[in-house]
Amino acid sequence: RGLGGGVSVRRPLAMEAAELRVGFVGAGRMAGGLARGLLRAGKVPASNILASAPSDKNLDAWRESGCRTTHCNLEVLQESTLVFLATKPHMLPAVLQEIRPAVGPHHIVVSLAAGVTLQTLQRLLPAGTKVLRLMPNLPCVVQAGAMVFARGSGAGDGEAALLKSLLSSCGLCEEVPESYINIHTGLSGSGVAYVYLFAEALAEGAVKMGMPGGLASRIAAQTLLGAAKMMLETGEHPAKLRGDVCTPGGTTIHALHQLEKGALRATVMNAVEAATNRARDMAKD
Amino acid sequence: AGVLAAHKITASSPDTDLPTVSGLRKMGVNFTVSNKDTVKSSDVLFLAVKPPIIPFILEEVGPDIEARHIVVSCAAGVTISSIEKKLSTFCPTPKVIRCMTNTPVIVREGATVYATGTHADVEDGKLLEQLMTSVGFCTEVEEDLIDAVTGLSGSGPAYAFTALDALADGGVKMGLPRRLAVRLGAQALLGAAKMLLESEQHPGQLKDNVCSPGGATIHALHFLESGGFRSLLINAVEASCIRTRELQHLADQEKISPAAIKKTLLDKVKLESPSLSMASASKVSLFTNKSPSSKKN
Repeated sequence: RGLGGGVSVRRPLAMEAAELRVGFVGAGRMAGGLARGLLRAGKVPASNILASAPSDKNLDAWRESGCRTTHCNLEVLQESTLVFLATKPHMLPAVLQEIRPAVGPHHIVVSLAAGVTLQTLQRLLPAGTKVLRLMPNLPCVVQAGAMVFARGSGAGDGEAALLKSLLSSCGLCEEVPESYINIHTGLSGSGVAYVYLFAEALAEGAVKMGMPGGLASRIAAQTLLGAAKMMLETGEHPAKLRGDVCTPGGTTIHALHQLEKGALRATVMNAVEAATNRARDMAKD
Repeated sequence: AGVLAAHKITASSPDTDLPTVSGLRKMGVNFTVSNKDTVKSSDVLFLAVKPPIIPFILEEVGPDIEARHIVVSCAAGVTISSIEKKLSTFCPTPKVIRCMTNTPVIVREGATVYATGTHADVEDGKLLEQLMTSVGFCTEVEEDLIDAVTGLSGSGPAYAFTALDALADGGVKMGLPRRLAVRLGAQALLGAAKMLLESEQHPGQLKDNVCSPGGATIHALHFLESGGFRSLLINAVEASCIRTRELQHLADQEKISPAAIKKTLLDKVKLESPSLSMASASKVSLFTNKSPSSKKN
């Protein structure tokens, strides 16, 4: 089947989110997170969301939320205007080849695949297709994600604005030059894991000092949440916020000294660098 | 700084060969080898001897201390109460102020703090503050913070000199002539310090302002962090402060043996007080732009 036919009548860009038909090719964790964000924020009704996956394993959760599901990738293209490509990166080229005949000028194609460049995407899709590349992170699921996207040559201000407006329901969403995407991976995509590691260590410290683990864990998480919220809401420099907590000769400054002795800052910088470099390397493969 | 006329300043030292002595004389300062004469001709008396010498000096000049005198001790680790105790055998209400300054008073960019003793009035503290503000920053603090100040700004210039030496090495390694490297390094630190003092911003923010994304500076900073630069500086301040407290503790117990006092100084002192079994060493009661060697911390 080619363009048009049935439901996918060529229509003006559906800027009204309520009318927008959103599709997901690939229904894994990241896709699920985005969809859940859109649903929770009430941006898109579940009936307007269609997801495809090879097996039913991932699709059950979608159906439970009221979304429509299919095993046919082409159907997603035919039914949707805004299409998220959320397959594993190595599978993407084959999927693109499969869906290419169904891609038309009205489509907005957003790829979530790590390491697959806009250049590659545009090469494998019809010329002029509106393509954007999105790098979200896992907390999109709870509407506290950090996402960046870059637009391809066929995508204009309208598409960028639409994506930003929709995804702001899942957290922070900013447009960036494509070169920042790998950095975002190192900072925030992988960064979530660094935070989990830190939270675990905080809790363990507390357990060592005599607090039960479950309680310690919840408090650790809330501490991170609270600190992050203060940073975002006050807009103050973290160094200043840190200073505000440090009474002279008090507990905090003693603890911070330990962190500095352990060169925590350099280690974290190393981590971000390593993940970014790895993302860059993977993109070359 | 033009705050005092030279002829109003008296300095004394038993050792007239010190290079500082001729420097002081050239400035027009009254010089004497008699500590007692210095006390008699002064209203504000700076005790600028090494800390172990303080008790002996106080014994020597105690009888000449009058109600008008403000005794200012610059000796690291010597408490107000120890000075007051020594002087109270001679004078019922000695005015004592303890101060901690640093070597850049020489170029009028000193960092000075002071704490007032039991009998020192507000005006006495303000007088000292006025004097010391003419050579840099000066503020009053609680006495228990003076050890921390020693660790930070007392020893601080040494940390800076070390850093500057190393920065210059870096410059030389990358091809700069030594003199230029030293000059540029010093100017960089001077400029940065000035920016911070004149800015409302946090130093972290000022640092960020210098670091363009992916640029040279952030690469360099990463190296500093990897080396634990910050913690080294914290360690240094802590070590200096702790050592100051140790010295103070030792002094309080008067455990400093006479052997700690330089033999040459003992030989040269002219004893005026028969009650003194131990000679006084060099004392400079002086407000000066040229720091005598006895000001070492």
